[in-house]
Amino acid sequence: MVLRFIEVIGDKTISTISSFFEALKFTSICLIHMAKPASYNPAMRMVLTKQIYFTAVGIIPLFTTMAVLFGSVIIGVVIALATEYGLQDEIGSIIITFVIDEFSPFFTALLISLRSGTAVNTEIAVMNVNQELNTLRQYNIDLIDYLFLPRIISGMISVVSLSILFAVIILSSGYLFTLFYMNMDFHTYKYLLINAIEVKDLVVLLLKSMAFGFVTMLIPIYSGLKTTSAYTAIPISVLNGMVKLFVALFFIEVLSLLLQSL
Amino acid sequence: MLENIALIKEVHEHMPTKKAQEEAKESLKKIELENIGLNRLNQCNSYEVFCVCFIRALMTKESDVIIVTPFHLIDNLRNIKTIISIVEKLQVKKNILILDTISNEIHYKDSSCNIVK
Repeated sequence: MVLRFIEVIGDKTISTISSFFEALKFTSICLIHMAKPASYNPAMRMVLTKQIYFTAVGIIPLFTTMAVLFGSVIIGVVIALATEYGLQDEIGSIIITFVIDEFSPFFTALLISLRSGTAVNTEIAVMNVNQELNTLRQYNIDLIDYLFLPRIISGMISVVSLSILFAVIILSSGYLFTLFYMNMDFHTYKYLLINAIEVKDLVVLLLKSMAFGFVTMLIPIYSGLKTTSAYTAIPISVLNGMVKLFVALFFIEVLSLLLQSL
Repeated sequence: MLENIALIKEVHEHMPTKKAQEEAKESLKKIELENIGLNRLNQCNSYEVFCVCFIRALMTKESDVIIVTPFHLIDNLRNIKTIISIVEKLQVKKNILILDTISNEIHYKDSSCNIVK
């Protein structure tokens, strides 16, 4: 009984570690391909253009609306709380840290994951089940260059650009709330933000958004690739992919908080 | 369908998308299927899908193209002459090999194929 229990634990541990290293290997292969100029053939560039359109441009109306609605409310609450606790002097740094370092990249990554991550996971899983991936392999078409790289790069570009858009929208909403709560005029608000913002904040926004964009596409692709050959396996693949993706997003968020606190 | 055919040359020969699609369009025109250029897979019948797969295979650098059981690939195909006519219209310079089962032998009657049993 005890021996069986130890065997089960051992099996689970070995399988978890081997899948982790397999995923790590896949990630490194994708990164190597990303650095190779030969990967950027005309077909890849065409797919990349389309993916950027689907991921970043198609979402703009919904994204802007959500940013105005939720972003304004959240920044309003942050400003109201800061005022209540007498932190008016620190309001610039509070807004910048909250909006640029934390909220914009995370919110954008969540939205892109829900919209494009699921779509990519399903697409790759369906292609896998329909043997379309095998057809591409038979024609010696590199799946990483043609299918995965455009999606990963578009994810990175989309999350970075939409995070910046989100930050701009929230900072604009922030002005309305500072005007309402503190009677602050636009020039004071502008100088407050300029004085509070540092190069570090922009670097954090950029790196974090890129990391979010990378995993937002990489994990659904990997999950789609692991789908077994049955249509019933597609929902399971999407479910597993999304769970892993959300764990990865939270992991990056926590890791970035830890690194910033050092 | 154009993208599907053009892909091979874009990837293997780094041919610009526009030029590769022009070549694909020309090939489709030769077999009077230029109207399916912008169709998706679900908008094409089995004959059109076969033609696209065949043209795509011709775009590769391989010297032989093998067609496996064409009577299963194309619905209501009665005679191999339809396939031979496609090959002729496309002025194919590659070796075309057709693999089929003996039960379909009747469909190859009076055809110009070299039959090897």
